[in-house]
Amino acid sequence: MAKAAEAVIAERIEERRFARSRVSLQLTGVAMMAPALLFLLAFVFVPMGYAVYLSLYQSTLYTPQPVFAGFANYAHLLAAPDFWQAASNTVWLAVGMMALSLPAALLLAVLLNQRIRGQAIFRTAIFGPYVIPLVSSGLIFSLLFSTDGGPVNLALQRLGLAPVNWLGQGRTALLSVLILTAWQFTGYYAIIFLAGLQSVPTSLMEACQVDGGGRWQVFRHVTLRALGPSLFFAVVICLIQTFQTFDQVYVMTGGGPDGATTTFAYYIFEKGFQAFNIGESSAASVILILVLACLSYLQMRLGRRWVVEES
Amino acid sequence: MKANPLLKGVSYALLTIAALLCLAPVYWMIRTSLMPTSSLLSSALWPAHPAWSNFAAAWRAQPFLLYLWNSVFTNGAIVALQVVTSSLAAYALVFIPLRGKRWLFFAVLVAMMVPMQATFVPVYTMLSAVHLINTYGALILPYAGSAFGIFLMRQGFLTLPRDIVDAARVDGASEWWILTRIVLPNNKPTIVTLVLLNFVYHYNSLFWPLVATNSTNMRVVPVALSYFLTQDAGQTLQWNYAMAFDIFAIAPVVILFLIGQRYFVQGVAQTAVKG
Repeated sequence: MAKAAEAVIAERIEERRFARSRVSLQLTGVAMMAPALLFLLAFVFVPMGYAVYLSLYQSTLYTPQPVFAGFANYAHLLAAPDFWQAASNTVWLAVGMMALSLPAALLLAVLLNQRIRGQAIFRTAIFGPYVIPLVSSGLIFSLLFSTDGGPVNLALQRLGLAPVNWLGQGRTALLSVLILTAWQFTGYYAIIFLAGLQSVPTSLMEACQVDGGGRWQVFRHVTLRALGPSLFFAVVICLIQTFQTFDQVYVMTGGGPDGATTTFAYYIFEKGFQAFNIGESSAASVILILVLACLSYLQMRLGRRWVVEES
Repeated sequence: MKANPLLKGVSYALLTIAALLCLAPVYWMIRTSLMPTSSLLSSALWPAHPAWSNFAAAWRAQPFLLYLWNSVFTNGAIVALQVVTSSLAAYALVFIPLRGKRWLFFAVLVAMMVPMQATFVPVYTMLSAVHLINTYGALILPYAGSAFGIFLMRQGFLTLPRDIVDAARVDGASEWWILTRIVLPNNKPTIVTLVLLNFVYHYNSLFWPLVATNSTNMRVVPVALSYFLTQDAGQTLQWNYAMAFDIFAIAPVVILFLIGQRYFVQGVAQTAVKG
C-alpha cells in the first residue's frame, strides 16, 4: 500500500517535471524580464544609441534635414572654451565635494557609531537634508546668500566685514553651489559610511585591542581597512553625482555669471534645450555617458576586488 | 571600548554643531516664511509679529494642490509600475535558470548609470513623435522600468532560500503563484524601501518634468518651485511667500521620511554595503 503511494507520487513528480520542461521555464523567465527590459530598451538603450547617431550630424530643431558631420561636433566641443569651462567647473565641484563632504561624512559616521545618547535625533538631523528636493534647498540657499536680507551677509556685516555678492560673481557663485551640494549630500555619505562601520566585525576590533592596539591603531588597521568598499563606493558615487549636477545650478545661478557655474549636465541642457544645437548637445551627452561608464566600470571591477580581499 | 569622558564631550559637541548646521537653513526658511513683507530686510532671528497670513497668500498665489496632485499621481504611477516590472525581472534573474543572465544583469547595471540629462533629446523626440509631450504619459513612461528597482529587488530576493521556491515548484505551483504568494510576502521590507526611495527620488527631480511639460496645469511641485524663482517672480522676489511655498513643497517628503525613516535609511545603506 505504502509502496504504491510512493510510486504514484514519484510518477506525479516526473509528470510535472515533464510538463514544465526547462524550455517552458525559460520562456516564463523571458516573459517576466520582458516588461522591465522593454522599458529600459525604449528609454535608455535606444536613446543612448540615438544620441550617438545625433552626435554625428549637424542639426538644430530648425534645420529639417540633418547633415552628416562625422566627428565635427566633437571637434567643435573640444575646441570650445565654454565646454572646457563646464568640464572644469564640474571637476572643481567634484574635488570640492571630496575634500569637504566625504571627510566630514566619515567623521560624522565614526561619531554616530559610538554609544551615544540621542543618536536617533542626530542621525535624523544630519541625514535630513538629503530628502529635501534640490530645488527647495536651492531656493533656501539663494535666500541665505542673497544680497538683500540674506543671513550670510547680515552676519558678515555684524562682524564689520563687507557684504559679498555671493551668487553674482564667478568664484563665490561656484563656491555657493558647492556649499549647498555638500549640505545636501554629506548626511547621505555619512549613512553609507555608518553602514560600512557597522559591518566591521567587533571581534577583530577586540583582537586588535588585546594585542595592545590604541584607539588610532584600531581605527587604522581594522576600521579603515574594513571601510574600504564603502569609501570606494562613496568616491565613485560622489563623482557620478557631480557629473549630473543640474537642479542646484538651474535654481541658484542659471549657470552664470558668465558660465561660472555651468556644469557638464547643465551644459548639455543649455546646448540642446536653449540653443537647440542638437548635434553638439548630443556629442556632449555621449562624452558624459563615456565618463560615467568608465566610473561605473571602475566601481564594479575594483569594488568587487576590494570586497573579496576583505572577506 | 572604555569611555573617555573628554572624547565623549568632544563627540557630543561636534555632532551638535553638525546637526545645527544641517537644521539652520531649514530654520531660516521657517523664520523668513513668517516675516511680514515690511521687515524682510531685518536681521531679527525671529519675527516680532509672525505673519501667518503669508501662508494663505502663498497658497493663493499658485494652485499648489494641483501641482501636488500632479506630483503624487505621476510619482505614484511610476513607483507602482516599477514595483511590478522590477519584481518580475528580479524574480527571473534570481530564481529562473536563464541563459545569458549575467549579460542581462550587466545591462541593468549599465542602465542604472545613464542619467536623463544624457538622453533627454532622443527621449523627447520619441515622445514628441507619438504626441505624448506635455501629458502624464511623458512624465511616467520613461521611468516605468527601473534598473535601480531591479537591482534592489534582486538584493532582497537573493536572501530568500532557493529550496522554498524549488519545493513549491515541485508541488506544481506556477511561477506567478510563487512570486505573489511566497517571494513578495517575504520581501515586504524591500518593497517598502523601493517605494519610499523612488517616490522621494521622483518627487524631488526637476530635470525631466521641466523638459517634458510646458503648460501650467502640468507642472509638478519642483517645476512650480523653480518658476517661483525665475519666470513668475517679477521684479523683486517676495522671499517670505517663496519660503512659505517652499514649506508646502517640502512637507510631503519630510513627513514621508519621518514615517518611513527606518526603511529609508536601510535602503540607502543597502545600496552600498551589499552592492
